[in-house]
Amino acid sequence: MQVWSWSGFFDYLTNPYIMEGALTTLWLTAVSIVGGLILGFILALMRLSPRRLVSAPAGAYVWLFRGTPLLVQLIVIYTGLPQLGIRLSVVESALIGLTLNEAAYLAEIVRSGILAVPQGQVRASRALGMREAQIMRYIVMPQALRIIIPPLGNSVNGLLKTTSVTSVISMEELLRRTQVLIQEKFMVLELFAVAAIYYLLITTLWDLVQRRIEARFGRAYQQNGAGAESDQR
Amino acid sequence: MIEIVNVSKWYGNFQVLKDCTTSVAKGEVVVICGPSGSGKSTLIKCVNALEEFQQGSITVDGTSVGDPRTDLPELRARVGMVFQNFELFPHLSILDNLTIAQEKVLGRKRDAAVKKAEQLLERVGLSAHAKKYPLQLSGGQQQRVAIARALAMDPIAMLFDEPTSALDPEMVSEVLDVMVTLAREGMTMMCVTHEMGFARQVASRVIFIDRGEIVDDRPPEQFFGNERSPRAEQFLSKILHH
Repeated sequence: MQVWSWSGFFDYLTNPYIMEGALTTLWLTAVSIVGGLILGFILALMRLSPRRLVSAPAGAYVWLFRGTPLLVQLIVIYTGLPQLGIRLSVVESALIGLTLNEAAYLAEIVRSGILAVPQGQVRASRALGMREAQIMRYIVMPQALRIIIPPLGNSVNGLLKTTSVTSVISMEELLRRTQVLIQEKFMVLELFAVAAIYYLLITTLWDLVQRRIEARFGRAYQQNGAGAESDQR
Repeated sequence: MIEIVNVSKWYGNFQVLKDCTTSVAKGEVVVICGPSGSGKSTLIKCVNALEEFQQGSITVDGTSVGDPRTDLPELRARVGMVFQNFELFPHLSILDNLTIAQEKVLGRKRDAAVKKAEQLLERVGLSAHAKKYPLQLSGGQQQRVAIARALAMDPIAMLFDEPTSALDPEMVSEVLDVMVTLAREGMTMMCVTHEMGFARQVASRVIFIDRGEIVDDRPPEQFFGNERSPRAEQFLSKILHH
């Protein structure tokens, strides 16, 4: 057994096989967050419905997917469903598992965002003759979006790391590829350090992106904000 | 223009409106006053169906508000409303606050909507602020924008629900000025307000509501003369004695 190898560490830091794994982590996250948001938005609207027949299924969904580990969900999808004749590839299983799981959390975030928009805004929109779908689209959602960006950003950050769970169904993302190399080369510490650095790099970049998005959506809410071009006369 | 006939409304067992009957003719300005919790805001919100009522009928320009077949959004698009708390859309610029319903509800083209918005902002003296956002304006300015937003829909009547109650005292007059001009131009208006100076100046009639009942409904000369009810007398002495 050797001690820490700097050359090994730097070699793997620029290893294309690892880099590809990091890219897989990125797109897994991107696709799952978009899919999760769409599904989560539908679930949130369903949960807000006064009709129990509509809200109850959404409630049950959230309860189920938030109440069981993602790990279990992934294994059920990948190795359990074939028993029922449903065979999904690794990639399909990973995407479906992550999306379904994420949707349950995002549904709650979206729902709280919608509820945080004051009722007076809805009344004012109605008074102008807008229909309920228009009110949701043009008045409530844009305001809810601003409210949910911080928790949504948090979810993206969490998901970037949670994708590593898909390594158990042999999804070749960053962690899985790191483990594969470790089994070949035995440089345990060096390779995990490389993986950690990639995760840090990605989450740090996301932080920067999130801050820009927040600034953009917060523009209208600065009392004498720069974005308003307030000095034009 | 607006006919309110025997309207009653309950919140559970509590009756907020008791058999209210009144009307507003085209071009009339009716001021509604009364103690807080008397039902005056509720009554005005029944006119554009922001609140439901259980008995009686309200007709606006020939359309029955309580009729389940009535297309409420279509009706509301014809009646402007101004709220106590302005309720401008904080995520939209002032200009877009004035254009959104024109475009999405009336289907006006962007150019036409912007032109209309600019005319109205000019009229309420806020042209310079078109690109700002609501929270960057003072309360008085926001309320003037809210009036312009309602007017942009070319309403046949305007409802005002305590438009100056949330304002700092020094901003009340800039909003009332706009309302007075509007009244003088012949706009049909229902105004819930405690601004008795405004009522004296432009009201066709003053309605006094207490505990859900219309107690007085008379011209301002009478109401501010000596022909008001004892309950109105008591109310006026409370709001005017300082």
